[in-house]
Amino acid sequence: MAAEYVLEMRDITKKYGENTVLSGVSLKVRPGEIHALLGENGAGKSTLMNVLFGMPVIHATGGFGGEVLIDGQKTMIASPHDAMLKGIGMVHQEFMLLPGFTITENIKLNREISKPNAISRLLGKNMETLDMATMSQDARKALDSVGMSIDEYTMVAGLPVGYMQFVEIAREIDKTGVRLLVFDEPTAVLTESEATQLLSVMRDIAARGIAIIFITHRLDEVITAADGIIILRDGQLVTELRTKDTDVTELAELMIGRKGEASFVTAQPRVFPKDAPVALHAEHLAVDMPGEIVHDVSFDVHEGEIFGIGGLAGQGKVGIPNGIMGVYDAEGSVELFGKPVQLNNARAALQDGMAMVSEDRRGVGLLLGESIEDNIVFNAMQIKDEFTKKILGAKLKDGKAIRKHANDMIRELDIRCFGPMQHTGTLSGGNQQKVCIARALTMKPRLLFVSEPTRGIDIGAKKLVLETLVKLNREQGMTIVMVSSELQELRSICDRIAIVSEGKLVDVLGADASDADFGLAMSGIKPDERRKKGGDA
Amino acid sequence: MTGKKTRIVIAAVLLIAAVALIALGAINMPRRTGEQGEAILDTLRIRSLLNATGDGVVESYVAIAKKEATAAAKAAGGGMSAIREAVAKAEEETRARYSNTTTDYASLDTTELSAAVTAYAQALAAYDAAAAEAEEAYAAAHIEEAEAAAQAEREARIAAGEEVGEETEVEVDMSGFVATQEMIDLQAKADERYASVGAALSSIYPVLDESALTTLKETITSISYQRGDTFTAQYDRYIAMGSGAALTNGTSAFMIRYADDMIYIGLALVVAVLVLLFYETLVAKLGIPRVIIGVFFILLCFMALLYDLSLPTLLSNTVVRMGMNSIMVLAMVPGIQCGISLNLGLPIGLVCGLIGGLLTIEWSIPGVWGFLFAIAVGVVLAAGAGYLYGLLLNRLKGEEMSVTTYVGFSIVSLMCIAWLVLPFRSLKLRWPLGTGLRNTIGLDSTNFAHILDDFLSFKIAGFEVPTGLLLFMALACALVWLFSRSKTGIAMQAVGANPRFAEATGINVDKMRIIGTMLSTVLGAIGILVYSQSYGFMQLYTAPRQMGFIAASAILIGGASTSRCKISHVVIGTFLFQGVLTLGMPVANVLVPGSTISETLRILISNGIILYALTKSGGESRA
Repeated sequence: MAAEYVLEMRDITKKYGENTVLSGVSLKVRPGEIHALLGENGAGKSTLMNVLFGMPVIHATGGFGGEVLIDGQKTMIASPHDAMLKGIGMVHQEFMLLPGFTITENIKLNREISKPNAISRLLGKNMETLDMATMSQDARKALDSVGMSIDEYTMVAGLPVGYMQFVEIAREIDKTGVRLLVFDEPTAVLTESEATQLLSVMRDIAARGIAIIFITHRLDEVITAADGIIILRDGQLVTELRTKDTDVTELAELMIGRKGEASFVTAQPRVFPKDAPVALHAEHLAVDMPGEIVHDVSFDVHEGEIFGIGGLAGQGKVGIPNGIMGVYDAEGSVELFGKPVQLNNARAALQDGMAMVSEDRRGVGLLLGESIEDNIVFNAMQIKDEFTKKILGAKLKDGKAIRKHANDMIRELDIRCFGPMQHTGTLSGGNQQKVCIARALTMKPRLLFVSEPTRGIDIGAKKLVLETLVKLNREQGMTIVMVSSELQELRSICDRIAIVSEGKLVDVLGADASDADFGLAMSGIKPDERRKKGGDA
Repeated sequence: MTGKKTRIVIAAVLLIAAVALIALGAINMPRRTGEQGEAILDTLRIRSLLNATGDGVVESYVAIAKKEATAAAKAAGGGMSAIREAVAKAEEETRARYSNTTTDYASLDTTELSAAVTAYAQALAAYDAAAAEAEEAYAAAHIEEAEAAAQAEREARIAAGEEVGEETEVEVDMSGFVATQEMIDLQAKADERYASVGAALSSIYPVLDESALTTLKETITSISYQRGDTFTAQYDRYIAMGSGAALTNGTSAFMIRYADDMIYIGLALVVAVLVLLFYETLVAKLGIPRVIIGVFFILLCFMALLYDLSLPTLLSNTVVRMGMNSIMVLAMVPGIQCGISLNLGLPIGLVCGLIGGLLTIEWSIPGVWGFLFAIAVGVVLAAGAGYLYGLLLNRLKGEEMSVTTYVGFSIVSLMCIAWLVLPFRSLKLRWPLGTGLRNTIGLDSTNFAHILDDFLSFKIAGFEVPTGLLLFMALACALVWLFSRSKTGIAMQAVGANPRFAEATGINVDKMRIIGTMLSTVLGAIGILVYSQSYGFMQLYTAPRQMGFIAASAILIGGASTSRCKISHVVIGTFLFQGVLTLGMPVANVLVPGSTISETLRILISNGIILYALTKSGGESRA
């Protein structure tokens, strides 16, 4: 009865409102095959998996188009539990384990083996005694199959991160009738040797006839482990490849690709000579920003440059400006125009003439309950004592001066609002971003950090924000460091782009470097070395 | 849409009713003093008189019958028992005969009586006016002496260790008052008039003799005139005597009597119409809680009017209570602004203020200087305590609500011990026996009782304005407002609104939170002193425990949230909270008379409002 494909997804389309996040994606997975699912952030990987697992978020937003076949049979997966019953398991990126329970208990959670006793005969199945012996045997078997020798009675709390990942896998394997496992970035938290072990475990599992979908951004691993490769870009299936027919460079190129839409702002990239004056010099910068940890980054930004920092989400690119501006704990040495910057001191960073437009607009960037004008002048007032007047020795805010400046800024940046008294919380994302920029500009900075300036704003506002940045740079000679997940955006206005992966700076590329180079760098592979290696091979 | 339509229809119906009621009231109101009113009162008065004298008439007949029966029995030569029997029988028969006959008012010619009674009432009024004037003059002449005596007695009682309450209005002992010549003359004139009333009555009931008329004098006098008589007072008096039965012009009498109430209800309906019509605007501007409580407050005002409670007095009380509570409510503002949310640990500040007040009494610093000294001590102590409290709160970020509550309770309990052991010596403060301070310490004119309330206070139409208190409140509000516009104040608000934003701007979040906490505590210390001077007592031990909640509720009702507030929230909230409380109790007392409902209701209302306010702690007005 075995069908050729354990899973077949046909023409999957998903819209969130007007926004199409998946269109016509199809894939086929044979039993015992490992498929890698590749794509940039926002390419639609998560949505596709949400569809596969029947996540409530999919059903709550109007379902999806297309069909899912399991073992050649059309099925409707109603919920994650339903997916489990149909033999689809998921190894999560964040561990879903109970720390206070033993490994056995975690593996058998909600699938406990029990035997009847006196009370259960009266009160039903919930009162049955746990059959710890059998459960332990099962757990042992599962642990052995992932190559873990650890005792099955050990508490999960205190286990090394890598072990937890394996326990999680063991739990999925232990489920009877599991036919398809999805691994969501399983190697992200593992050391190199653990990752190697994991890949071999995956192959073992596959050898037992279980199909695997493997989501990752590490291209090397893909080449090592996967049989087939599925590449998504902007919600569309770019291509399906066999691993043997391709190499890392091609994958990188396919993953990045030129976006369909023409870039709407273009600034001619300029080449600065090596000995051009340096505006910002960072050396061995490490930043402890949760979710965006920077391990060791060194770079130079020339005066008058627009310097881009790119990379995938969670790799640490956002941590760089936050570390330099003193928002998160940082170590290392940073110099601004030759003068050392005191780290971990936001006030000093601002006083030195740096300003930042934060990526977390609503969290860090704005006082949502306050008016536009109060937001715009806040920093200048607090750091430079501007817009204040002295009355009886007390520094009070100078309403008139503030109003005038706010009106100027509203006009200049085209902030769409009812007036300077409107609360920023009621503005659209794009206009909020403009208020943030206005606040940074009010500080008259010598160096401006913009972090994810176009996140969550519409195309018109994006264009305006990018144009403003170019204008500031070209007309006022302001040095700008722009951090963005949108590579296209970085390439359209930056002179040079640094790519960060796993908290380290991989390479600084010119805006006109090839797609493959960017793709490789984002996977943590320095394009030059790759080429050399390639040349050697 | 339909909801709005229904509202407009209801509003229209109510408006028509309101206009009708107000028109009726307005038409009938002047009739009270006009001819119609006079006629109605006259009829009722005569009826009451006739009813009252009718009882006297029956007694007279009984007396005559008894006399006759005795004579007859004696004449028949019966013994004592026969006489007794005959008398009892005669009395019974006579009573049966006369008691059941209702007076047929129409058949009687009462013109003479009416004129006589009116004249008598006027004479009584003239006498009463003269008497009142004379009494007042006497009281004014002797007030100082009485006050001195009261003060002396008070001090004696304190020395003796008795519990001494708030200073009450001193009353002059009127036992030495002697009637003036004018009064005597007027009295004679009134007596003369009474004679003519008697004559008129005798002509109707010939049976009434001199002695019967003398007995009836008091009754007739109290029917004819009472001090402070108004239309409604007289009307109600006569109706209560049962004279209203089958009144020919009953409806119009009723209309005239309830003319004012009709106007009140009409006005209340107008308010209801306005609320219905502008419901959306009101809700948008003020938020539902304030609309609900505001409407409830207005409802209470009209109820007070309907039940003839003195609204000016009640409103005056409301204003005083608003003023005395306002600074404590204001103390919530820096707390909310700096991000510690509602400072339920306010008792820390209150206790510091109380210590300042106690020291003033201990060292007998009088008047304004005493008050200023108390504030100075309170502020210094509160600043220190607030600093430590701020340090604590900085270590427990995110748990402020529960931490402040615990801290508030703890400090009150700690101070319960402290009040027992602190080495105060003044007899005004200590229990006469044993150690420790009194529960409540009465303030008087030797220290700072009513020092703000009475400053420049004046009275308009029964409404007493506590000018000094209001000025102090305005000053405090203005200072807090100015602070919130200063560089530090703005930084502090940013910390409260978004600590991460503030941190990214290089603002020392912990420092700003400490500043806010200190300010809040300091305002608490000043607040309790303002409260005490107005209340006339300082309350120690567990009294400050609830005050943090009351202040927090007031500002929440005013429209603040746990993270956002304005000065206007303080003023609106305190007024509404205290207004509902002040008006609610007397109205409840009238609604359910003779019960202890008022105390129950006080607890119910105040705790109810607190609970309601806390459910609204998310805040609604973002305007």
